[in-house]
Amino acid sequence: MIYFDNSATTRPCEEVIKAVNEAMTDDKWGNPGSLHKLGYLSLNAYLKAREECASVLNCSAEELFFTSCGTESANTAITGYVKANPRKGKTVISTKTEHKCTLETLELLRKEGYDIKYVSVGRDGKPDLDELSEMMRSGVSLMCFTHVNNETGAVLPVDSIVELRKECCPDAAIYLDCVQSLGKLPVDLKKTGVDMASFSGHKIHGIKGSGLLYVRTNTRILPLIIGGGQQDGMRSGTQSLPLASSMAAAMTAAEQERDSAVERVREINRFLREELKKRGAVINSPDDALPFVLNVAFRNFQSETMLHCLEMYDIYISTVSACASRSKKVSYVLENMGIDRKVSSNSVRLSFSRYNTMDEAVRFIEAVDEIYKLYEVNVR
Amino acid sequence: MAVNVILARMGEVTLKGLNRGRFETQLMNNLRYRLRTFGKLAIFQSQSRIWIEAKEEGNPYFEDEERAHELMTAVTQVFGIVSVSLACKFEGDINDIDANAALYVKKHLERNPSHKTFKVECKRGNKSFPMNSPMICEEVGAYILEHFECLSVDVHNPDFILQVEVREFNYVYAGKLMGHRGLPVGTAGKGMLLLSGGIDSPVAGYMMASRGMPIDAVYFHSYPYTSEQAKQKVIDLAKIVSKFSGRMNLYIVDFTKIQLDMVKNSPHDMLTIVMRRVMLQIAQKLALQSDCKCLITGESLGQVASQTLEAIAITNEVADMPILRPLIGMDKEDTIRISRDIGAFDTSILPYEDCCTIFVAKHPKTHPKHADIEEAEKNLDIEAMVKQGAGENLEIIEI
Repeated sequence: MIYFDNSATTRPCEEVIKAVNEAMTDDKWGNPGSLHKLGYLSLNAYLKAREECASVLNCSAEELFFTSCGTESANTAITGYVKANPRKGKTVISTKTEHKCTLETLELLRKEGYDIKYVSVGRDGKPDLDELSEMMRSGVSLMCFTHVNNETGAVLPVDSIVELRKECCPDAAIYLDCVQSLGKLPVDLKKTGVDMASFSGHKIHGIKGSGLLYVRTNTRILPLIIGGGQQDGMRSGTQSLPLASSMAAAMTAAEQERDSAVERVREINRFLREELKKRGAVINSPDDALPFVLNVAFRNFQSETMLHCLEMYDIYISTVSACASRSKKVSYVLENMGIDRKVSSNSVRLSFSRYNTMDEAVRFIEAVDEIYKLYEVNVR
Repeated sequence: MAVNVILARMGEVTLKGLNRGRFETQLMNNLRYRLRTFGKLAIFQSQSRIWIEAKEEGNPYFEDEERAHELMTAVTQVFGIVSVSLACKFEGDINDIDANAALYVKKHLERNPSHKTFKVECKRGNKSFPMNSPMICEEVGAYILEHFECLSVDVHNPDFILQVEVREFNYVYAGKLMGHRGLPVGTAGKGMLLLSGGIDSPVAGYMMASRGMPIDAVYFHSYPYTSEQAKQKVIDLAKIVSKFSGRMNLYIVDFTKIQLDMVKNSPHDMLTIVMRRVMLQIAQKLALQSDCKCLITGESLGQVASQTLEAIAITNEVADMPILRPLIGMDKEDTIRISRDIGAFDTSILPYEDCCTIFVAKHPKTHPKHADIEEAEKNLDIEAMVKQGAGENLEIIEI
C-alpha cells in the first residue's frame, strides 16, 4: 500500500498506540476530576501530557486546552473570541481559502450581524498583504488565517502579518489554523505572536478525536462547551487521558523527526513534481508550498477517475473537489487562487508524512504510467 | 374494547371484470409481502376494502400513532391501493359509537389543532342496525357538537369529515393518506429496467411497476471511471424502487473493457449511440434469461444527444423486444416531482462520477443515420461484447 493521503488522516504511530494503551491501564483510568487517589493519578498524567504539548509548541501549559478535533478548536477560538470581546467591534478578516470549519463559523457570524471581510488570495495561495493592511486600518476585531493550506500546502507569511498588525491594528487578535503545519513546520507560539491556534492529533499519526486549542494568556474567549467547568471552564467534559497522552506522544514524535522528515518529503515532492510535469500534469501547489502537500492536475483524467485508478494499485490519494454528475463542482480553494476550472476538475491532492519513502514515489510514477496506458480516455 | 385498525381502499382493480379476482389476489399477496416486517397481521378483504389488524396484542404499529403512520405509508406504496386511513374498531350500539367517535375526535384535534369545522358521514352495511345512515350522522354530529365547544358543523367545506361505518363491527375514522394507485405488481409481464445513477431511470421503473409490471434491473459499472460508491448508489436506488415494485434482481455488468474497446475503435461523436446500442443488447440478453418481456429506459425525448428521435430510432434497431420509455413525453420538472415523491431524488443527486459523462464527446452526433452507425461499428465485435457483458464478471444482487 502507498498512502499519499496524509492530510486527510494518518495511521497512528507506535508511540501513540503505546501512550494510549498505558493511559487506559494501570492506575490511570480514573476521572481526573475525582478527589481520591485514582483521580489524582490520572490528573497528574493528564497535566504531564499537557506540559509535553506545551514544550513542543513553546507556550505555557495553562494556555492549552484539549478538544475533540481541529474543528472544535476553530469553532471555539473564532466564536469564543468575538463573543467575549464585543467592544473590539464586529469586523473579522479572513480569506476564502480557509478550511470549512473556519468558513462555516464565519458564515454563521455574518448571519448574526458581524462584518466578515475576505482578503483576496493570489496564485501563490497567499493573501494580498496590501489589501490586508488597508482592511486592518479600517478597524478589525479578529483575523483568521491558516498556517498551511490543506489543499495546496501554501504557507502563510505569518511573520509579515503579525508585523502588519503591529503597525495597523495592534488591538486585533489573530487566530491561526495550524492543523496542517503541526509537526511539519516549526510552530513557536511565544515567538509567532498569534493569540489563538488550533491543532489536530490525527494528522500527525495521533488518533481521531484529539485536538488542541491554544489561547494566549490574557486573551479572553467564551467556551463553546459548558458544564462541569473542567480545563479552567474553557472546555467542560471529563478530560480524556488517553486522548491527551496520544496528542503529546504524537507531537513529541513528530517534533523529534521533523528535520529528517522534511528533508525526505522535500525530495519526494521534488521528484514527483518533475516526473509529473514531464507527463503533462499541471502543478497547482505553489513553488514555495510546504512539501507535505502536492496538488496536481492530471491530463485527461478527472479527479475521481484518477483516484479510483490509483486505488486499483493500492495507492491512496484524495480528490479535493466533489464532482456532481451533471454540474461539476470544483475545489473552492483552487477557484479562489484563480485556477482554471478545467484544471481544477482534474486536480487531486497527494499528501505525505514522515513514513513515506522515495521508493513509494517511484512506484507511484510507475503506476501512473501504467494507468495512462490502460485507462486514458480523451473523447473531448 | 376499541382497537386501531387500518383501512385501505382499492382503486382501478375494482373496475376489472371477470379477472378481478386475479388482480385482487395479487394485491393481497403484494400487501402481505410488503408488510412482512410489521409483526403478525390479519389482512383481509371485504367488498372494495382491505382491513389490516394486529393478530397479537402489543403490536407497536397499532398502539402508537407515529408508528401507525409508518405502516400506513408502506400500505400506500403497494400499487392498487388508492388511500389508507387509521380507524378505530369496536362493537356496540349508538352509545358506543358516540363515545368512540368523541375519543377519536379528541385525538384528531390534538394532531390538528387548527381544525374548527366538521361533518359526519355514515355507511351502514349492517342493515339490522336500528338507525339508518342519516339518523346516525345526526346523532353522532349532535354528540360531538355537545362535547367539543370549539367545533361547528360545515357540511360543504369542513376541515375534517368524521366517517362512521356500521358493519359487523363499527368503525370511526377521519382523514386519509393517498396511495400510489395503479395496478398490483405481478398482474403484467416482467420488464428489465436499465438503471443508472440518475433521476430518470428509477422513476421509469416506478411508473412501469405502477401498471402491474414486476421489474429486474441492469446497471453498467465502469470501475475505475465510476466508483464503488456510484454502484452502492444504484443499489440504494434499486431498493427504493423495489419498495413499490417488490422483489427485484439487480444485474451489475462489468462494462469497463467494453467501453474502452469502443473508445479505441469507433468515432467519438458516435460513442454514446454505440454504447446505448451495446447496453440494450446486453440488457436484452439478460432479459431473455430472466423471463423479462420488455426493456424499460428513462429516456425523455430531446433531453440529451442520445435521446433525439433519430438516435432513439437507431438504438431501437438492435432490440427485438419492446422498449418501454414511460418518460418519453415528460417534462424534467414532472420527473423530478415523482422522484421526490418516491423518495429517490436525494439519492439520485449524490455526486459520484458517472460513466456517461466521461465517455461523452464534446459534440456527439444528434441526428445519426444508419450509414453512420454501420461505419461506427465496423471495427467492433459487438457479439463478443454482448456475450462478455452478459457473462464475464456479471454480479447479481437480490434486492
